[in-house]
Amino acid sequence: MKNVILRAKNVCKSFYQGSEETQILKSVTTDIYEGDFTVIMGASGAGKSTLLYALSGMDSITSGEVIFKEQKINNFSEKEQAVLRAKQFGFIFQQMHLVSNLTLFENIAVAGYAGESKNIKDIQEKTMKWLQQMNIDGVKNHLPSQVSGGEAQRAAIARAMINNPQLIFGDELTGALNKSSSEEVLNLLTGFNKNGQSILMVTHDIKAAIRGNRILYLEDGKILDELDLAAYQEDNAKTREAKVNDWLTALQW
Amino acid sequence: MKIVLLSNLKKHKGSLIGIFLLMLLLSTAFGTVLTVWANSSAYIQEQMQRSGFGDLTAWISGISQVSQLADDIESLEEVERVEVQRFIFSNYTIDNQESDSEGQLIVYKSEEKRYRFFTEDLSDYKEQPSKIAEREVYVSPSMVSMFDIQIGDEIIFPIARNQKNMIFTVKGFYEDPFMGSSMIGMKGFLISEDDYHTACTILQNAGMDALARDGSMLHIFSATSMTTSELNRVINEHTTLAQYTEFVHSKEAIAGFMVVLQNAFSGLLFAFALVLLIVVLVAISHSISSTIETDMVNMGILKTIGFTSIKIRKIQLLQYSIPIIIGMVLGIFLSIPFSSLVRSMTLTTTGVRMPISLPVVWTLFSFGMILLLMIEFISLRTRKIGKIKPVQAILGTTQKISINMQKRISAFGTKIYFRLAFRQLITEKRRYISALIVAILLVFFVSLIGRIDAWLGSDGKGMMDAFNPVDHDIGVQTFGNADNAQAETIIRSYSDITDIYLLAMPSVAVNGVDYTANVIDQPERFHMLEGKTCINDNEIVLTEFVAAHFGVAIGDIVTVQGERGSSEYIVSGIYSCANDMGDNVGMNREGYLKIADDNPHIWCWHYFLADSSKKTAITEALENTYGGDVHVHENTWSGLFGIIYAMRVLVVFMYMMVTLFILIVTVMTGSKILMAEQNDFGIYKAIGFPPNHLRATFALRFGIIAVIGSIIGTILAAIFTNPFVSSVMKLAGISNFASMPSMRSILVPSGVVTVLFLLFAYLAAGKIKKMNLIQLIRE
Repeated sequence: MKNVILRAKNVCKSFYQGSEETQILKSVTTDIYEGDFTVIMGASGAGKSTLLYALSGMDSITSGEVIFKEQKINNFSEKEQAVLRAKQFGFIFQQMHLVSNLTLFENIAVAGYAGESKNIKDIQEKTMKWLQQMNIDGVKNHLPSQVSGGEAQRAAIARAMINNPQLIFGDELTGALNKSSSEEVLNLLTGFNKNGQSILMVTHDIKAAIRGNRILYLEDGKILDELDLAAYQEDNAKTREAKVNDWLTALQW
Repeated sequence: MKIVLLSNLKKHKGSLIGIFLLMLLLSTAFGTVLTVWANSSAYIQEQMQRSGFGDLTAWISGISQVSQLADDIESLEEVERVEVQRFIFSNYTIDNQESDSEGQLIVYKSEEKRYRFFTEDLSDYKEQPSKIAEREVYVSPSMVSMFDIQIGDEIIFPIARNQKNMIFTVKGFYEDPFMGSSMIGMKGFLISEDDYHTACTILQNAGMDALARDGSMLHIFSATSMTTSELNRVINEHTTLAQYTEFVHSKEAIAGFMVVLQNAFSGLLFAFALVLLIVVLVAISHSISSTIETDMVNMGILKTIGFTSIKIRKIQLLQYSIPIIIGMVLGIFLSIPFSSLVRSMTLTTTGVRMPISLPVVWTLFSFGMILLLMIEFISLRTRKIGKIKPVQAILGTTQKISINMQKRISAFGTKIYFRLAFRQLITEKRRYISALIVAILLVFFVSLIGRIDAWLGSDGKGMMDAFNPVDHDIGVQTFGNADNAQAETIIRSYSDITDIYLLAMPSVAVNGVDYTANVIDQPERFHMLEGKTCINDNEIVLTEFVAAHFGVAIGDIVTVQGERGSSEYIVSGIYSCANDMGDNVGMNREGYLKIADDNPHIWCWHYFLADSSKKTAITEALENTYGGDVHVHENTWSGLFGIIYAMRVLVVFMYMMVTLFILIVTVMTGSKILMAEQNDFGIYKAIGFPPNHLRATFALRFGIIAVIGSIIGTILAAIFTNPFVSSVMKLAGISNFASMPSMRSILVPSGVVTVLFLLFAYLAAGKIKKMNLIQLIRE
C-alpha cells in the first residue's frame, strides 16, 4: 500500500474576465503517492500547468482542498507557503528561471540558504556536491546566459534538489531543450525517482511521459483517465512508448 | 499614433502620474518664488511712493524750528520738496521686555492717508480709522514676532524719570513700508495728536529728567537725478541738517532692508527649486530609459509595421509632455494659494502684506524656458530609440548582462540579504543612478539648510555676529556714577570673563554724509571681507554699502568729519556690519581721536563670557544695581526671533518637499525596477524566500544607494555651502557666513534621507507580496 503524499479534493479553479467565469479545473480529485513518478498529460488548454501549480500551492484555488501529508496547504499563509516551498517542495520550470545575475553556484546555494540549513559551509558543500553530480561544476561561476540550455536546466534541477524536497514539481521541463539535453535531464529525474524521490511532472512529450510510473490524463479541467506503468527501464522504453501511445490514441489525444 | 499614445499612457500611468506630481511640486515651488520675489520689491517701492516717503529721509532731534530747517532744505535747487512728520523718540517696554532700539511715537493724521491698516486677524486690510483714541496705539505686525504682542497688550513708554510713563494699549496693526520689517530695529507707533502733545508737555516739564526726545522725520524729495548720497552731501554743505541728524537713510536702502528677508528666502527657495528641477529631469531620464527597455519589443514591432524612429520618439515626447504640462499649469495656479500661505506666515516678520498676483511675463518666460528645456531633454534621452533594430528587439538580443567576475561580490554567504541587494545594485547599477543622483541632490540641499540653521543657532548668534561689526556676548556702557570696574566684579560673580574690548559708536560724516562709526580699540576683531583692517590711525574700513555709495575701493581716500575736526583716511578694507542697514564705517581708537575728543562714557565694554548662558542674569543684576546709569546689551535682538521663526518655517517646508520628492522618485524608480525584475522575484518566491525578506532586500538596495548619495551629498555640502550661501546672504547684507555645523546637523539630513528612501522603497516593494507567482513564472 503506497502512502499518499499529496491529495486533491474537488479542486476547482476559475478565472474571471469581468463577470464572465472561465472554469479551468473542474472538481479535480486525485492522490499523488510517495515515491511515484507521476505525469500529467493532456491537450493544450486542458489545465495541466494550472493543476500542477494549484497542487504545489504556487497558485490559489477557487474551491476544494489540497492536502500535503495531512496538512491542508491551500489556505496556508504566505509565510507558511514560503517555508513549504523552501523545505518540502522543489520546482523545475520549462524556462529554467535561474536568477539572471547570479552564477550557477549562487543560484543553487541561494536556494540552500532558503531551506533548512543556515550553515554556510554546509550549504557550500552541498552545492558543490550537486554541481558535481549534475556535471556542471566546470561552469559553476558562469552566469545563466553563459551556459547551454542543458547546463542551465541541470542547475535548475540541482537548485530544486538541494534541500532534499519531499516532492519535485516539473512543468514541461524538457520543453526548451534539445534531444540530448532532454535525455540527460530525464535520466537524472529517473535516477532520483529510483532512489525514492517523488516527482509530479507536466508534459506533452511522450518520451518524457514514459519515465513516469503513473500517467494522469486531463481533459477540459477534469482527470479523464489514468495509466499505471511499471518502473521505467531503459530496455523497455519502446514497449512503454507504444503502450502510452495506444492509451492516448484511445483518449483521442 | 493616437492609439499607441493612449495605450502607452495607460501602460505607464504610474510613472507618468509620478512625473505629473513632481512637476506639480516643482511648479508650485517655482511659481511661489517668482510671485514673492517679483511682488515684494515692487510693492515696497509702490507703497513708499504712495505713502509719501522721500528719496532721502532724515531723522532729526534737538531742534525747535523744524519748519525753518525744512524751508532751508526746500530752497535748494536740488530739492523738490520736504515733508515733515513729527514724532517722539522713546524707549519702550512690552511685557517686561525692554526694546533695543528707540521707538518713534508718530502722530497719526488720517487725512494724510499714509498708512494701510490690517484687520485684527491680519488676513486683510480694513478702512483706516478716522482718528486714534487717546492712549491707543497701532503697531507693525512684525512686533508679533519680535515681542509676541497681541491686540489689547500694553506698551510702556518712559517719557521722563519719576514714573512719567505713557502707557498705550495696542488697538491694531498697520502696514509700515518704511520700517515695518523685523530686520529693521527702529519701529514706528501711530498715536493720536493729543497723546503726542501730552508727551511733548511731559518732556518740556521734565527738563534734565527727560528720557524721550522730540523728533521729526524730514522726507526730502530730489529734484535732480543725483544719487541720494550726493544729495545728502549737498544738503549738509548748505544747511544745518547735519547738526540735528540722528540718522539718514535713502529710499533704496530702506527698501532694500524691507525686502531682505523676502530676497534671502526667495534666493534659497529659488536654489531649492533648481535642485528640484534637476531631480525632475533625473526622474524623467530614468523613466524614459526604463520605458525604452520594457517597451523595446513593442517598439521593434511598431518599426516592423512601418513606424519610423522619429514617429515613435514623437509619441514618447507627447507621452511625457502631457503630465509635464498639466503639472506645470496646475502648479502655476497652486502657487497663488501657496504664495498667500507664505505671505500669511511671514507677515509678522516682514510687516507687509505683499500682493500675490502672478508676474505674468516672468511666469510665461520662466516656465516657457523650463518646458523647452524638458522637451529638449526628452528628445535627447529618446535618441536611443533610433538604434533599436526590429529583429534584435523582438528576439530580445539587445539585453545582455555583464558582470565583472573578478570584482563581483558573492551573492551567497553570511548576510545574504545584504549581499543580494548589493549584487543587484552592481548588476543593474544604471537603474539606480537616478535614485543616487536624487539622494545626492536632496542630501546636499538639506545639509545646506541644516548648516544655515546650525549657523543661525537656537538664539540666532550666527546672524547677530554677522550683523555686528565684532563678536561679543554682552556689552556694558556706564554713565553717571556707574563704575566699570565694579560692573566687571558683578559680571565675574556670574561667569568668568574670557576676553574684553572697547567699542564706541559715535556719528561722523564721511565725505559729507552722516554715518555711524564703529570705533574699536582692537581693530583686528572686525569682520573683514576684503583687504585688511584699520590697524593704523590713518586707515578706515567701510561696509560694501558705504563703499558702493561713494564708488570707492580699497586704497582710495575718504574725508571723515568728527566733532573736533576732519582728516583723510585710506580705505584699508571692506568689512561686514549690517547695523544701521549697512550705513556705517569702522575706525580704530587712535584714528577716531584725531578728529574727536575722548569721553569715557562713549565706550561700551564688550565681554566674552566663559558661560554665555548667564547673559540675562548678568543684565538683570547690572540694571538692578545701576538703574538708568548703565546700558547693557546682549548679543541678541528682538527682530531676530522673527528671522529664526521664518528660517524654521523654511526648513520645515524644505523637509516636507524633500519627503514628497523622495516618496515620488522612490515609488517611480522602484515600480520600474520591480517591473523589470518581477521574474527574479518570482523565482526567489518559488524557491522559498518569504516576500517580507524580498521586500527588505529591495528596500536595502535603496538604503545602500541613499547612504552612498548621503556621503557624496554631505561632502558636496561641506565644499559648496559657504560660497553658495554667502552669495545668497549678501542679498541680506550678511557677508560673513561661515557654517560650522555640529555632528547633529551633518548626520540628521543624511539619516533622514536614508531612512526615507528605505521606508518608501519598502512601501513600494509591497507589490512583491501582491505579485501572482504564476504570472511571474509565465512572463
